[in-house]
Amino acid sequence: MTALLTTALPAAPVDLAAGDEMPNGTVGPMTRTDFVRYAGASGDFHPLHHDELYARKAGLPSVFGMGLLHAGILGNQLARWVGPDNIRRLGVRFTGQVWPGDVLTIAGRVDRTEVLDGVRLAHLTLTVTRQTGEPVITATATAEVAR
Amino acid sequence: MVDPSITGREIATITFPVDRSKLAELARAFGDGDPAWHDPDAAAAAGFDAVPTPPTVTVLADHWRSGGVAGLVEAIGADLARVLHGEAEWEYRKPVRMGDILTSRQRVSNVTQRQGRRGGTMTLIAIETEFTNQRGELAVRRTDTLIEREISG
Repeated sequence: MTALLTTALPAAPVDLAAGDEMPNGTVGPMTRTDFVRYAGASGDFHPLHHDELYARKAGLPSVFGMGLLHAGILGNQLARWVGPDNIRRLGVRFTGQVWPGDVLTIAGRVDRTEVLDGVRLAHLTLTVTRQTGEPVITATATAEVAR
Repeated sequence: MVDPSITGREIATITFPVDRSKLAELARAFGDGDPAWHDPDAAAAAGFDAVPTPPTVTVLADHWRSGGVAGLVEAIGADLARVLHGEAEWEYRKPVRMGDILTSRQRVSNVTQRQGRRGGTMTLIAIETEFTNQRGELAVRRTDTLIEREISG
């Protein structure tokens, strides 16, 4: 897997306004090794993600990636944009599968900001998209940003 | 098939460490080579009071669950081969730091059924998990929606 952006991880809230976009990240092509590495890291040993014979028996063309792997890639990218301590909420919806060979694009933008109890919050929309244009995750998040 | 009457059932309480080796593995699995995710000196240089953790770090509980992810699916009476992960949501209350000891308490918060697009019944199972740290503070509340599809045709 190619590496994500490696700008410094922000500790303090960052300055963001409506319309701002997350620096795009691209990862992949995803490999079976990537799935197995995440299985070892996360403890998700569901055989559909590493056992080719099991996956074929279930009627699938091959193993596919865990949703929480590409959700985790998205999460880290979000953390690099707004700072890990400033994320208040992240909600992801899995809308498709990630197959070996897929290249994923991570994108996000600020929909709006508001001040609540003296804290400025940014409401974000995020996506993870396959090279086909099909989204595999649509997500929303809320982050504390600089006042 | 999942029985809707399991709503409210407590599934498991798991206590687990947020340790350096697993944090380094997670960062690598996400293609993120930043040492700030596991090295105290790199985290301090970036301005953190302790080593920060990825937004999805609570997944580490699965290492400590009897039977792993399959154990959870079994505990709710679902068929592993027919279950998909539909949604996941994390609400962050306190930062999770390397070295924390988290306790997760998990329960079935909702079960609903609806017709699938390709026929057959889909059962949506919402599972709510609260992660408290070693000081007893609620750190993360996570809600997962699992989808069990009925075998059709």
